[in-house]
Amino acid sequence: MDEKELVKRAQSGDFDAFSRLITEQKDKIYRLALKLTGNREDAEDIVQETFLKAVDNIDKFRLESSFGTWLYTIALNNVRAHMGSRKKMTLKPIEEYLPSGHSDENTHTQLFDWGDPHQLFEQKQLDQIIESALAALPQKYSMPFMLRYMEDLSVKDIARILKLSLPAAKSRILRARLALREQLAEHFREKIDEKV
Amino acid sequence: MKKCNQNIQNICDYIDGELDGSLCEEIDKHLKECRNCRIMVDTLRQTVVLCREGRQEHLPAEIENKLNDALRRKWEKKFKK
Repeated sequence: MDEKELVKRAQSGDFDAFSRLITEQKDKIYRLALKLTGNREDAEDIVQETFLKAVDNIDKFRLESSFGTWLYTIALNNVRAHMGSRKKMTLKPIEEYLPSGHSDENTHTQLFDWGDPHQLFEQKQLDQIIESALAALPQKYSMPFMLRYMEDLSVKDIARILKLSLPAAKSRILRARLALREQLAEHFREKIDEKV
Repeated sequence: MKKCNQNIQNICDYIDGELDGSLCEEIDKHLKECRNCRIMVDTLRQTVVLCREGRQEHLPAEIENKLNDALRRKWEKKFKK
């Protein structure tokens, strides 16, 4: 049975059809919420609220997007409600993340080449570094980044879910990527300096 | 590409293999000449790889069971079974 048929059955009151629709989505929403909040309890609350709201609103779902995309929209609203006032890092304009000049020029700043981070950290430590770097980003940047690279959504779908223009979605993904790169570079540089 | 950073808005598309044609060739050419930009592109690529290879978390079974019970109760109330 395809998704459309399952949605129709769920909308007419078939709980088993709804259960089948959400089976694969539970872990996905949990992982997304965990990465965005950096906190297991928050992520568990967000999962519960998301699926309970999905029950409330299942009859309003019009199949204009995939069921998974619709759930992401609900989940991200819950993340915003949970995390609204928490302090996050401030992102710089794009140009401030970039090297100041061409490598052949005398005035350039050499960019730090971190090599293979697996030589510096155990996987568990790397996971923690990544989790805290992602959780430190403001949601307006971390949400599109994660939808793009962890959920493999297209920029077009991300723009639709987050109600952004295509260039705005692209720009936020880029800024998040640059800010994460810089955070990771700082961690890796510190580790290399410790070793020297 | 005469200057560094002038194609920065397209760099994600380039790294993700979604940039076609002459712009892609232009960036390739620049990267051969510019170490800083090579490092930037390599480390931006690795940033996503590292984020993706993190642990695959699963919703704890206890929470999933509670959720399933709550969903069934809410469902029955909604559809008045």
